[in-house]
Order: sequence, then C-alpha cells, then structure tokens
Amino acid sequence: MASLIACPHCGRRPKEEFTVKGAALARPEPQAGADAWFDHVYLRDNPRGPYQEFWHHTSGCRRWLVVTRDTATHEVEEARDAALWNRETAR
Amino acid sequence: MSMTLRHHPVLGGKAALRLKDVTLEALPEGHVLQLLAAAPEAGPGLRERIGDSDLRPLAPGQWLLIGNAPLTPEDLTGLEERLKPVADIVDQSHGRVRIALSGPAARAVLAKGTAVNLDAAAFPVGHAAQTLIGHIGAHLARTGEDSFELTVLRGFAESLWDDLAQMAAEFA
Ligand SMILES: [Zn+2]
Repeated sequence: MASLIACPHCGRRPKEEFTVKGAALARPEPQAGADAWFDHVYLRDNPRGPYQEFWHHTSGCRRWLVVTRDTATHEVEEARDAALWNRETAR
Repeated sequence: MSMTLRHHPVLGGKAALRLKDVTLEALPEGHVLQLLAAAPEAGPGLRERIGDSDLRPLAPGQWLLIGNAPLTPEDLTGLEERLKPVADIVDQSHGRVRIALSGPAARAVLAKGTAVNLDAAAFPVGHAAQTLIGHIGAHLARTGEDSFELTVLRGFAESLWDDLAQMAAEFA
C-alpha cells in the first residue's frame, strides 16, 4: 500500500509525513536545447504500472527519497535515499 | 535607553497535568542544539565531546543535544570548539520547546498521534525520531520505559500541549 512508505532512515511512515515532487527523471544538460527542456519540465508518460518519483520525508528525516510504486496497485516496491539512487543511476 | 530582554517560557503558565495514568509536563527551556556532521557515522565520536547533555538522533548525520540548563555564550563557544572536528552546531534553544509525557498510558496517548511503532523492541529507551503528532511536527524521544519527551517548534508548543491534553483525557 502506498499509504505507508518505508523510509530507509525512519522505517514505515504514513504518506502524510511526505511531500511528493513527481517523476524521478535525469536532468538534461544545461545546453540540451528548448525541446529537451520542454520535455523534461512538462511532458510525462503517466504509465499504468511501476513509476519512480521523488518523495521528501518532510515531517521525518527531511531526506529526499526515490520511491518506486505501482500506479495501478499502489504497491511500493522500494524507497531509497535519493543521494544513493543518484550515485547509482548517474551516467 | 537600555532595554532588558526577558525570557518568557512559552508553556510557563501551564501547570503539570497529572491524570491517573499519564502526566504531561512542560520542561525547562534550557538548551536544544542541532548538530550537523559531514559523516552520518560521526555519532560515536560525538558522545565523548558533549558533557552531560542528552544526545538524540534526528536524521542521518544530525542530532539534537538537549539539556535543562541554559547555556552561556561561553559554554556554547566551548562546545563548538570541542565539536569542530566532527560536527557543527545550530542553536535552536530559542525555537524549540520540550514537553514530557509519562505514565503507563503515555504510549497509548502518543499512538493516537503518530504512526511510529512505539513497542519497546522497536523503540527502546534512548531511541528518538522526528515525526508528526497529528498535524504537528515533533521530535519524539523515549527517556524511560514509560516516559517520553517531545521537542516541538516554539510556535506550535501550546497547540501540541492542548492536543496532548485532549488525547490524554480518557486516562483520567
Ligand atoms: Zn525518513
């Protein structure tokens, strides 16, 4: 259930403690051009199924997380610290 | 013209609320220091540098250092010097207020407000967590088998007190 998010630092907490920022997407290079930036800022796939989002544990440890959840079943597959996620997915 | 600054404890007017199974008490506005370390694993190195204050985990690489006595500017500078190799201090004493909750029903009262598992196995004495009590953010620490402390932003202290009093009412 997406109502409880297992923060890697705090354990299982209700969604009310978090702020959702939206899709976790790699940021384009500053000079990537208007099309790439328009895509990055405005266009979303809205998939039915697994989706990765940035969640901020606002009322807990205040760390940014990347939460993988299923938009159809609300099942949460994993929640990782965004710094760790960034290091592992970067380039 | 000289002006003296006077300290008004925000919960100073509240007498302790002593019910049958739970007691609510405003704690002295001593010191609340936020410690920030570059390395999350700095924890053990902190303890030997901090004296008698209570060190409570806040977030990865962050702790609250808490005590009943107000610190003089000299105390604070000394502490900053001792901690410098491991952590920086942000003084939150002016902005955070502490409330103690104790008694056999303390856990049941808190469970109405937070989803943190307060079972002694999951949240033993010495454990602490930042969480929501209802709609109010607070830092929760277990100080004994049946005793807890809440550290809350000053502006929310009275609201939290009133909420806790209401949550505790059934244990009178
Ligand atoms: Zn957290």
